Amino acid sequence: MLTASHLSRRFGDRIALEDVSFNLEAGEIFALLGPNGAGKTTTLRILAGLIAPSSGSVTVDGEPMGPRSAPRLRARIGFLTEAPGLWDRLTVRQNLVVYARLYGLSSPERAVDAALERFEIRDRGDDRAAQLSKGLKQRVALARSLLHDPRIAMLDEPTSGLDPESARDVRDLILGLRRQGRTVLLCTHNLDEVERIADRVAVLSRRLVAIGTPSSLRAKLYTPRVRVVLAQPAEPFASTLRQSGFADVTADGVVLSAGLTGTSLTTPDLVRRLVENGASIESVLPEEPPLEDVYLKLLHAEGGAQ
Amino acid sequence: MSRTIALLGKELTDLRQNLTIFLPSFIVTIIAVLMPVFVAVVVPLVSGERLSDSSDLEIALEMYKQDPAMRGLDPEAAIQAYVFQYFLVMLVLGPVTSAMSVAAFSVVGEKQARTLEPLLVTPITTLELLGAKVLGALLPALALSVVSMVLYLGVIALVAHAGVFSVLFGVRTFGIIFLLGPLAGMVALQLAICVSSRVNDARTAQQLGVFVILPIPALLVGQLLGIMQLTTPVIVAITIVLVLANAALMWFAIRLFDRETILTRWK
Repeated sequence: MLTASHLSRRFGDRIALEDVSFNLEAGEIFALLGPNGAGKTTTLRILAGLIAPSSGSVTVDGEPMGPRSAPRLRARIGFLTEAPGLWDRLTVRQNLVVYARLYGLSSPERAVDAALERFEIRDRGDDRAAQLSKGLKQRVALARSLLHDPRIAMLDEPTSGLDPESARDVRDLILGLRRQGRTVLLCTHNLDEVERIADRVAVLSRRLVAIGTPSSLRAKLYTPRVRVVLAQPAEPFASTLRQSGFADVTADGVVLSAGLTGTSLTTPDLVRRLVENGASIESVLPEEPPLEDVYLKLLHAEGGAQ
Repeated sequence: MSRTIALLGKELTDLRQNLTIFLPSFIVTIIAVLMPVFVAVVVPLVSGERLSDSSDLEIALEMYKQDPAMRGLDPEAAIQAYVFQYFLVMLVLGPVTSAMSVAAFSVVGEKQARTLEPLLVTPITTLELLGAKVLGALLPALALSVVSMVLYLGVIALVAHAGVFSVLFGVRTFGIIFLLGPLAGMVALQLAICVSSRVNDARTAQQLGVFVILPIPALLVGQLLGIMQLTTPVIVAITIVLVLANAALMWFAIRLFDRETILTRWK
């Protein structure tokens, strides 16, 4: 649907982006992660045809993005900028109608009515943008960026500065986009959010550090582990597991944790050994490090490599 | 064109919600209208001296004898007509200050409110965007030109001697109001747009508009000193200069108003 090939961008002597390549597939939520100054916003702007790469190329549905094609291809992209950027003295409806006309929609008023309905802001349509809370402004900005029904939505920090309830509303809207088969490119610092909604993740630090599903990135960096909660102290069972060949076994109170790498043993084997040795099991869960750990480990590794 | 109209609609709606932006221009217009009334009508009335008796206005009297349009007037009315013609150029100040304020705030204001990037994401071209900005500032300036002319001629009809109105209600007046005013206003606003693509503060953009305002009182002083007259050929010459200046500024504005620059350098 959208392909970025070997994108690089320099601003004077400063390299903002270096040899970044990835594809966006239809109906996926793709998260772009990275520290401040990693080139996330630059990437988004290049993909939306707002700025040109110093080298490399972008294609949308197989069509190369260039100065001539950019205005036409931009019509297939919805772009939510970091700041809502609403005209404060205009009402919500007036803000949206201007954009509906800028996108050349055949029936701007009807498109705006539909957007107000869809984003549940119909009752605020006649309020001036200045009167809205930050969350509502973000909702209106999201409505604006999707007014023309784009197949690709690029969202720069969509939940930045929002209260938890508003952030959840925005996340639900993003998930709704995926259900409609749209592609969402999400640029964020919020790893919890990424964990909850992203299908694939790219970690950027000027260069592409890693790309994949959250679980595949975890698997690259961490051994798979199992966490078992027992009804009795765990320590006596730790040695049993070690003797059975499980690696890196730890016990803490009633919780046992064991690694599964480097062995053919599986979670059912582990459960069987524990039950055979008289353990009373309350729960068994895969032990996954938070995405934050994965992200920081990737960045530190990249920092070390540089 | 439809995108220019869409954005122009926004500009005008925005301005309707912020009419105080025109207050300085309106005050300048009122002063420009009242100044000649004070000189040509109030002062003689209060002092009890006729303008045609004053040795300070001998130049005007000499000129009046040479001007065919004035020959039917009595000397006092002729001098009033001269005073009102001299001060006519000051009416250009209103549209210029109005265009400058609107342009400075509409461009730098977008920049400060961070409303420009969402706009640039749409398929709008730079020319369409600038066209809307220019028209959004020019239309109120034109409206102010009409208001100032109606006020000026209305006041002349009410307080000046008989025949002064007929002298003023002519090509020269319309040329100054509807050619020099809007064209000087466009120079000011395009200058403001050029400047605002390099500065972050609307005040800086406005201050640089002084370069456009200064020649206007200079024209008045030049006339009062007898150095020049705003005759029809002079008005045509100034119009040509302003048209060329506007074309050059539009060329510069489009180049300076580069999307990449806006997105990557405007902070």
